[in-house]
Amino acid sequence: MSEEQRVAAELRKRAFALFRRSLHIRTVDTGSCAVCESEIRLLSSPYYDLHRLGFFFTPAPRHADLLLVSGPAVRAFDPALLKTLEAIPDPRIVVAVGACALGGVFGEDELVHGSVDAVVPVDVYVPGCPPSPLALLHGLLVAVGRLEEKVHALRFDLREEAKA
Amino acid sequence: MLWFLRGLRKGVVTSHYPARPDPSTDGLPSPPAFRSDLLTAELADRLAAACPSGALRRDGADLVLDLGACTGCGRCNEVGGRAVAPSGAFELAARDRTTLLKRIPIGAGR
Amino acid sequence: MIHAATIALLAAAGLWLAATALGTLARSRGGLTVAALVSALGGGAALAGGGLVAIHGAGAARTIGTGNLVGAVTVRLDPLAAIFVALLGLIALAIGLYAPRYHHPGRGSAWYLPVFNLALFASLAVLVAGNAVVFLVAWESMTLFSYLVILRHHRREGVARAAFLFLALGEAGFALIVAAFAILATHTGTLDLTQIAARAHAVPAAWRDTAFVAALVGFGFKAGLVPLHIWLPEAHPAAPADGSAFLSGLVIKLGVFGIALFGFELERGGPAWWGLLTMAFGVLSAVLGILYGLMERDLKRFLAYSSIENIGVVMTALGGGMVFTAYGQHAIGTFLLLAGLYHAFNHGVAKTLLFLEAGVVEHTAGTRDMDALGGLIHRLPSSAVISLVGTLGIGALPPLNGFVSEWLIFQGLFQGFRIGSHLVGILIVVAGASLALTAGLAIMAFARAFGIPFLGMPRSRGAAAASEQGQPLAGPGMLAAVCVALGVGAPLALTVLDRVTRATTGVEIHARLLVPNLTVIPAHTDFSGFSPTYLTVFLVCVAVVPLLIYLGGRPRGASRTVPVWDGGILSFNARMQYTATTYANPVRVTFDELYRPEFHLERDSDDPAGRSGPVHYRFQVLPVFQRYLYAPIVRAVEWLADFVRPIQSGDVNLYLLYLFLVVIVAYLIYTY
Repeated sequence: MSEEQRVAAELRKRAFALFRRSLHIRTVDTGSCAVCESEIRLLSSPYYDLHRLGFFFTPAPRHADLLLVSGPAVRAFDPALLKTLEAIPDPRIVVAVGACALGGVFGEDELVHGSVDAVVPVDVYVPGCPPSPLALLHGLLVAVGRLEEKVHALRFDLREEAKA
Repeated sequence: MLWFLRGLRKGVVTSHYPARPDPSTDGLPSPPAFRSDLLTAELADRLAAACPSGALRRDGADLVLDLGACTGCGRCNEVGGRAVAPSGAFELAARDRTTLLKRIPIGAGR
Repeated sequence: MIHAATIALLAAAGLWLAATALGTLARSRGGLTVAALVSALGGGAALAGGGLVAIHGAGAARTIGTGNLVGAVTVRLDPLAAIFVALLGLIALAIGLYAPRYHHPGRGSAWYLPVFNLALFASLAVLVAGNAVVFLVAWESMTLFSYLVILRHHRREGVARAAFLFLALGEAGFALIVAAFAILATHTGTLDLTQIAARAHAVPAAWRDTAFVAALVGFGFKAGLVPLHIWLPEAHPAAPADGSAFLSGLVIKLGVFGIALFGFELERGGPAWWGLLTMAFGVLSAVLGILYGLMERDLKRFLAYSSIENIGVVMTALGGGMVFTAYGQHAIGTFLLLAGLYHAFNHGVAKTLLFLEAGVVEHTAGTRDMDALGGLIHRLPSSAVISLVGTLGIGALPPLNGFVSEWLIFQGLFQGFRIGSHLVGILIVVAGASLALTAGLAIMAFARAFGIPFLGMPRSRGAAAASEQGQPLAGPGMLAAVCVALGVGAPLALTVLDRVTRATTGVEIHARLLVPNLTVIPAHTDFSGFSPTYLTVFLVCVAVVPLLIYLGGRPRGASRTVPVWDGGILSFNARMQYTATTYANPVRVTFDELYRPEFHLERDSDDPAGRSGPVHYRFQVLPVFQRYLYAPIVRAVEWLADFVRPIQSGDVNLYLLYLFLVVIVAYLIYTY
């Protein structure tokens, strides 16, 4: 990473750390099958209980800190998605969840963009189909800097285990 | 008996994640992990064709797994046999999209 | 002081007559302006004269000549009338400032302005009349000239009918007023009003009651009491804006003046049931007035119903005053009279303002339909502020004038427990509760009447194209300032009104009304108290707090300005807003049994909206009084007329027979 990128990343981390223990989340569905929404809804259940971490859902983008986007970014939804993002005051975080939002499943064609980062700049990507609530929690905690990314250290090559 | 006492008997059910690991993701679908020593180029091509969401593709001497596109459907497990197994990984969030691209060397037949 | 007042009122009369003459020059812009300004000057003189008499607190009378037929022509300056003279002057002043920019020079204005000034002159004559005949002649003249004022745009649809309704009901009322005066004059042997007042206690009780009821109903026609009100919602939209302002601001107050004259001066000390009857009319007018007003889309019709409502409130206060006095509670009785007069004055000021502004809206946006207006606060900013002050004044929000007067009326009515008879006490409190319902509905109605036309987005091209260029601001602006002054300076206004009521009923309540530090108390110190002056000061001081919060807490970094969050929809157009009809819909549903509306829905096909082709929807509130009260009377009169028509056979021989029979009968009567 260049010096500029490093400084930018550091700045972003510090800004997002403002929301460590109090984060308001606004969810947007850009055309998903709604299973990601089910998992997001489960976050409010007594088992996962995101309120204990200081995270809340809010319907008003004016009050939100984080935009949680799912779905493959259907083109017809672009104006609404952009308006929602524009309505969120800075500093704001954008998290894309689900395989559809990250570019899988649907390719780019005349109806969909294929991935959310073609429309809005994304800060954290959360893979899964759907990402389980724990994966979502991990993603949110990474976004506010309470947990470190793990995926860069994960090895998907079993031979190294076999070796070890 | 009195309904609220049932809740007191059951105790606290809330997960303690991230303070303690949570077992609820055990057994859920997860991205595949590969035995690179058992991978051949031909197997890699068959795996890439079998993946319905475009998460697997062969790039030269590597099989590229796009964690972001993987839906955990398990078709690569059926096709790959002993070379592929579920990884059980779920803490996959990343700031950078390229971090989610994993390269597995095609080791067999070298 | 009486001298100065006399000179001022003579000046007013003279100036209005001069304006009448000058009005004929209104074919040119200069002539129009001069005539209007002379009329305004006359208004100022009348305001000064009325104010001086009210402050002086005592009356004076002067007789001009003696004629054998009608008795002496007496002119008197009476404090009770002086309040209404002051109101007349203020309204004339405001309208005089408003007229140059409202009317177009031309033939229409050239006959309208003289007639209008003659109506002002006739109203002044009604108020200074000291003699029953002068009063009646002036009253008829005032009705006639007001009728002509309504007919300004006589070629438009519905105007002639509205004016005729005004005239017809005015004449019906006049007949009853003549009867009332005739009864009193016959039994007291004099036509002079002061002497009638002195001798009225000698009139037999049954005749006194008849005279009062006749006066109540007769003046009630003019005041707009339900069910005598049906001319009001027709006449106000038909007349031009300053004509409507004059009608609503003053003419209906003359009805109030007439009832106050009979109830408190000419026949003072009447039995309690007079007051209860007046209160019944008042409560009915107040509640029904605002309920029907909420269903109106036409801005001026709505303001007309609001006038009916406020007159109902005033009548309730006056009636309550009569009841309390009849039960020996003179202080509260006088207090309610004071509160009623104050409310009448406040309503005159605020309603005139609103009608003048309605005229501005109609001229600039091209329509009076609230469902076609919107967003005028951006296009007519000063008019919006002035209208807001008037709306707050009429909606009785502190610290403006309407709040103080309504608060006083409530405080007076809530003291019903001091009355000996439990039943009457309960009835008075029920009346107070009805007025509370009215006040709540009035707030809703005026939030609608200000919010829908002025706020939001324009619902029609006319509203979008409105502009304040060249619109009158001085007249309404002055009235807005007066509204604020009457509210904040309520203690001063009450001091003046106290002198008026002292002259009228003989009871002084000043010491029990105002404690030294600008606080108002309703006649008994142990009940309640409030100071509009201090409240205003407090509100101004409190307004500093959000200012400090803003200065201390606003962000220091760069900021983005983005549109209001609308849910992310693509096109936000004016059709998505509330309309006046939908805003009032909860009230319509709640009071459905009262309104009994007729719905009419026509559509080309049963496809869902958007694909069904044109849909026609008509909604009409049941016109209860027209259908069930007036129509049967009209039918009865027509039947009677048909019945006697055969007399007019056209046969000369039959007419000769009639002559012969009449001569025989006259001879027999003369002989025996």
